[in-house]
Amino acid sequence: MEEKILIIMKEVFGIEDIDETCSQRTCEKWDSMAHLNLVLELEDEFGISLEPEEIGIMTSFETVCQMVAKKAEK
Amino acid sequence: MNYFIFRNNTIERFFPKGYIFSGYDDISVIPDTADGYVWFFQLPVRINERTLCEEIRGYSEKLNLVLDQVASFKPMFLLTMDEFPSIPITSGVALKESISGYNISLFEAQKAHKNVYVLDIREFTHQYAENDLIDWKFWFISQMGLNPRLSKPFMDWFNRKLSQVSLKRKKCLVLDLDNTLWGGILGEDGINGIKLSGSYPGKAYHLFQETLKELCKNGIILTICSKNNEGEALDALDNNPFMILKKGDFSSWRINWKDKVTNIREIAEELNIGLDSMVFIDDNPSERELVRQVLPMVAVPEFPVQPYELPVFCKELVEQYFRVYSITVEDKNKNEQYRANALRTRSQRTFTDMESFLQSLNIHIRIETANEFNVPRIAQMTQKTNQFNLTTRRYSESDILSRLADGWEMYCMSVSDRFGDNGITGCILLNGYEIDSFLLSCRILGKGIESAFLKTVLTGLRDRGIQSVTAEFIPTAKNAQVAEFYDNCGFTVIEKKEDGTKAYSLDLTTADLNVKPYYSVIE
Repeated sequence: MEEKILIIMKEVFGIEDIDETCSQRTCEKWDSMAHLNLVLELEDEFGISLEPEEIGIMTSFETVCQMVAKKAEK
Repeated sequence: MNYFIFRNNTIERFFPKGYIFSGYDDISVIPDTADGYVWFFQLPVRINERTLCEEIRGYSEKLNLVLDQVASFKPMFLLTMDEFPSIPITSGVALKESISGYNISLFEAQKAHKNVYVLDIREFTHQYAENDLIDWKFWFISQMGLNPRLSKPFMDWFNRKLSQVSLKRKKCLVLDLDNTLWGGILGEDGINGIKLSGSYPGKAYHLFQETLKELCKNGIILTICSKNNEGEALDALDNNPFMILKKGDFSSWRINWKDKVTNIREIAEELNIGLDSMVFIDDNPSERELVRQVLPMVAVPEFPVQPYELPVFCKELVEQYFRVYSITVEDKNKNEQYRANALRTRSQRTFTDMESFLQSLNIHIRIETANEFNVPRIAQMTQKTNQFNLTTRRYSESDILSRLADGWEMYCMSVSDRFGDNGITGCILLNGYEIDSFLLSCRILGKGIESAFLKTVLTGLRDRGIQSVTAEFIPTAKNAQVAEFYDNCGFTVIEKKEDGTKAYSLDLTTADLNVKPYYSVIE
């Protein structure tokens, strides 16, 4: 799953050099539009629906993975 | 394309990369570096109907302020407003009125400005239920007034509209007969046995023919490619009382038992149009597949299995291949002209030498400079002409106007002969002493008119004391026939590049600019 998320982030942000340390604070391409596109891609890929509160805290690769894992479990 | 979009909501996801967006509801910045502009204001979310109506009225005023400031030669696309997302507390009548008032102001702007085009978003939104059009979650977190999951179909629609505006449409329909123009098989059911009216399924085919007749009136060329006996099929067209399309509506036909690929190629050759401007319609999947395989440049839409699906098919056909922003008078007469050309080809055979044939044609060439009536046609020709086009530079109407404003000279040529008037079929665009564009419709080729036109324009320049002109040939996949045109007209090659591009000059003081006496040239 984490691999898949990394691929989605690369596609959405349009950059190749992303690793597990990526976060909204350090990644220039991760702006609000990119965040929105990321949410839509994740929802479609994993068949989940993310709530606004959840979307708000998904600010790094790590928190994205945690959230998707939690939602996909249910 | 570097377009700038005025907007009031989050819509970045709905437009291709490279577009630039204004601030929300912000018209203070109007960048003049943009290639064009888009105006896309969505119904704002307000509970109080009166405030909402005022806000919408404000949008019209803002639009007018922007229109006063954008350059009149740059295209500006205005998207209409739809009635969602609405949360009507009161009757909603006032809201409906102000939305339609806003949309009317858009259409009025289109009437008042040559560079303004209205795109009616309701064409797109009407395909969806209101609840699918907005996802409130994304409204609240990102101020998106349109469901982000519709971005792909929206972009397809938007691009299709843009390409209609720039006239990149198809020219010709190639139609099968049995179970396509009518129900049943002519050879088995006979002229009066084929299904074309009365009850279903005849009614459905009748409607299909009516659609095709309208397209024909609007300048789309109709042709037939059918496995049938020619005499029998033509007889059916003219003598079945319910037939809408008559023999005279078709510019060419191949009704025989040969393969359809050969036939389509022949039709393209006869009409002098490219295969990529043709749409092939046939109910038989294996014929469609054959054409798709061998002639991939021909558009081949799926044909409905059930005749009752024909109305939807018609709509898609028109929308996808033939919808166009404005139809010029030339378009409407084009079918006439293609028919007259066929007549000309026939009479050509009775003359032994070309010169006496040309003399017999009684050719009149009219040359005029650019004016408000021919600018649309000039733009259209630069967009559509592929074969006799020395540089293949594409210009929109606003490009033409801005170049005229820069001092370019443009000449249009119309040709008539004893078979008919071809309308404006050629133009020369001069940027100072450089021939920027020289193009001619293929309908009038093969009569020496091209050099008569060029020589007349050049004579005009020489008479004004201009000593020499320069010109260029830029090769494309389609214009090989003019590779030597300037050479044959006496131009000197001054540079030849590896890609085949050639730069020329011509000394007007020594050039032979005599026009053959059998052309009567009116300036």
